[in-house]
Amino acid sequence: MTKKLLLVIFALALVAAACDSSSDDTTTTAAAEETTTTAATAEETTTTAATAEETTTTAAAAEAAVCPSESGGGTVIIGTTDAIASLDPADAYSTRDWEILRNFGEPLLKWVPGSGDELVEGIAEGMPTPSEDGLTWTITLREGLTFGDGTPLTADIAAAQLTRLLTISETGPNQVGLTLGNPYVDSIEAVDDVTLQFNLPAPIAFFPQLLASAAYIPANPATYPEGELNIFPDAPLTGPGPWIVTEIVPDETVTLEPNPNYYGDAPGVDKIIVRQFADPQSMALAVQSGEIDVAWRILGAELAVELADVDGLNSVVVPAGPIRYLIINHVLEPTNDPNVRKAIASVIDRDELSDVIFGGAVDPLFSQVPPGFLGANEAFDELYASPDLDEARAYLEAAGYSEDNKLQLPVWYPPEHYGATTADGVLLVVQQLEATGMIEVDVQAQEWGTYIGAVVGGEEYPVSVLGWFFDFPDPENYLQPFIENGGIGTMVTSKEGDISPGVDPALLELLTASRAETDTAARAEILDELQNVYAEEVVTVPLWIEPEYIVYRDGICGDASLPNPESLNIGPTMEFVYSVLGTDGS
Amino acid sequence: MHPLLLIFLIFGIPALIGLVYVYSRGSSGLRTYMTTRIALTIPMILILATVVFFVMRILPGDPIDSTLGPKGTAEIKERFAEQHGLNDPIFVQYGRFVGNVFTLDFGNSLIQSQRPIVDELGERLPATLEMIIPATLLALGLGIFLGTRAGIRRKSASDYGSRIFSVMIYAMPIFWLGLLFQLIFGVWLGWTPIAGRIDPQIPLERTTNLLIVDSIITLNWAALRSVLAHLILPTLTLGLVLSGVFLRLTRINVIETNQEEYVAAARARGISQGTITRRYALQNAMIPVITLIGLQVAILLAGAVLTETVFAWPGMGRYLIQRILSRDFTAVQSVIVFFALFVAVISLAVDILYSLLDPRVRY
Repeated sequence: MTKKLLLVIFALALVAAACDSSSDDTTTTAAAEETTTTAATAEETTTTAATAEETTTTAAAAEAAVCPSESGGGTVIIGTTDAIASLDPADAYSTRDWEILRNFGEPLLKWVPGSGDELVEGIAEGMPTPSEDGLTWTITLREGLTFGDGTPLTADIAAAQLTRLLTISETGPNQVGLTLGNPYVDSIEAVDDVTLQFNLPAPIAFFPQLLASAAYIPANPATYPEGELNIFPDAPLTGPGPWIVTEIVPDETVTLEPNPNYYGDAPGVDKIIVRQFADPQSMALAVQSGEIDVAWRILGAELAVELADVDGLNSVVVPAGPIRYLIINHVLEPTNDPNVRKAIASVIDRDELSDVIFGGAVDPLFSQVPPGFLGANEAFDELYASPDLDEARAYLEAAGYSEDNKLQLPVWYPPEHYGATTADGVLLVVQQLEATGMIEVDVQAQEWGTYIGAVVGGEEYPVSVLGWFFDFPDPENYLQPFIENGGIGTMVTSKEGDISPGVDPALLELLTASRAETDTAARAEILDELQNVYAEEVVTVPLWIEPEYIVYRDGICGDASLPNPESLNIGPTMEFVYSVLGTDGS
Repeated sequence: MHPLLLIFLIFGIPALIGLVYVYSRGSSGLRTYMTTRIALTIPMILILATVVFFVMRILPGDPIDSTLGPKGTAEIKERFAEQHGLNDPIFVQYGRFVGNVFTLDFGNSLIQSQRPIVDELGERLPATLEMIIPATLLALGLGIFLGTRAGIRRKSASDYGSRIFSVMIYAMPIFWLGLLFQLIFGVWLGWTPIAGRIDPQIPLERTTNLLIVDSIITLNWAALRSVLAHLILPTLTLGLVLSGVFLRLTRINVIETNQEEYVAAARARGISQGTITRRYALQNAMIPVITLIGLQVAILLAGAVLTETVFAWPGMGRYLIQRILSRDFTAVQSVIVFFALFVAVISLAVDILYSLLDPRVRY
């Protein structure tokens, strides 16, 4: 009898759980998401978010989780679905890798945790100073710097280690030097024991921002030899930062403990363990059960909303996120016709995308440079008043299309790579295109491994979708990758020339001018013009800014004296600085 | 010592001793059969590895684009291909791969960390073994126990209950059942950990990467408790799903055996039902069940892929999926060879066991 009763209870539990699960028909989609990242483009996933508005409300209502004046210490376990791709600063180029590098290392300059515009000294003593011609920058290291193992960090060592970015980065799989090193820096040399000199091929206005990227962390020569990359080094990993990586268990955990030789304040907790999950659903359950303290990237809107209702959890929208945009191939038919590109730009209704896909929780993007950056405008809205179907039809007629002779337009997207929201967004874009009555879209999904090869090849997809998150917070990093040939934003490369195939050379001239301009107002004007030409050319079609979420348990807190304590001081740069974390000691 | 070598010592040596024992004590027919089977295993694995080798190269996408992504200029791609031998003629690459299979040196992964494959397998194979062995034992134990009961008490409530359970559990998607268990036992009741192999706050020196073994040899009982606790949900999930088929097969065979004349004769002789079940019905009913174990191994590995994903279990299944998506040729080929080897060894063991259980079987 008892056994039968147990059987009945088990069956009832199954039914109850099935009912609970059936209320969330996107759960399985989230669980199936692939979250491995390989680039700083912040390959992120989020789920369908008709209810995302609730999350925004939650975030707005979230009070800053403030620690007592003295943190209670202890261990904080952070969950992530991002995989490690490389732990050599001369090669690493993904959000997860940079997060680890920034915590056991420290660049010459750094962003105040939680801020996106307050640049301060990292291991440097002061801010860098340019020469009169802007071709050399000099910066001084702090006195008495050491790596975590006690090895002195002199200018000689720093110069040699940073030079790895320029010389051997291209031999690795992630090649951060080709993006953040070689285009901007010719050589790095030590002037004396504490002074470094950077020699540039051309003046750049944003050089200090560049120095705050993880690529400019001097690596410990004991682990990272000068002439060779060490992509997956064995722990312990020591740098000049506040932590030491004491253990790495592949696909499982990375453990960090305070660096006793760090020049600055000791961290607020005794140990950080970063635990890797294969899917966001398990990570969500783990933070709910208390197995982890923080669920960080990549959680997604759907789960963030669910967890917001759980007692003891804080679910917060991080004030940072990647952008989504359409890659328009300027060489292939039919998008090599400027009228076709303009027609596409004219039909995109970004407000509808934001409302339908994200419940209004995301910001529509009307320029490739997101709002808040120097010179950012709304060129696509001003130029195309999108959506304007009449205007779109006029462009299509000019290109020779009609309702009887419809434009046949293939649109490609990776269904699994960016998660359900991006896939849903693309399908809505397809509807918007077909609403003209003059476009017939052939929408095609392709798994990422194949998709990325085809996009890079530039010979197959007239229209495709990609995501981007900046490597350093400057408008340059939202424009250069899409304008210069080989720029990694468009991914459409040709073998010759400096500019992306089919793109107006005026854009490159404006880009070069904006780089060299040190006067902020003058640079903003150039950037404004640049974005107007960019929109006129429809180099890409910006769509929306996708939000990131963090969920953490009560008792975990950020630093209230710094910006954004409610998101544990993760700000617009999306950097998670573990040393500002604290606990209430419970 | 390399974890893969330790795994071989732990599992391979007892298996070899068993094999030698059976070989020396078995009939000449059995010896011939075993020799033939072992000899056939080599071409079987080679054929499978060959198919995988060429299929991976026929599929669209390649490790160069997947690894280099947007940064892959023609020059860099060329250097990457050269560095990894991808420019060599396909048959040269194939020859190199086959050579590597025989030396068990699978080269380096083509993507991301580019670590030696044997190191990556040394971390992941033990994790998978640690999960699928108890899951198989659970599936067999539960399936045979419930199947036997249902067979003996045909048309009783427990028979109907067992049949409904077997169909339900077999039809359930593994990832869904895993999430359900996480929710019930991990979140609502708080009895078990949600994911992972061990509490990350418990230090454990890893030698074999079989965490149970490592905990025992280091006398780290806190770690052992944690490892066992972390094994509960993945084992339960995988084991329960696989138990359905064993339950049904055992049940039907027990029913059939119970209708045999020799069972009726035993019953007429006054032998107790328990003895009849143990000595006659069950032993004969086990023959097809043993055969099924061999067939289920492949399904078990497929199930492990999903279970490993849900429970953040860093095993071979998850690794295989990641590497297929990244077109990491060398990693995928190596994992398939290991899977094939595993299935071949289990099939061989099953055949030998079959001959021992059923004296009528002659090779």
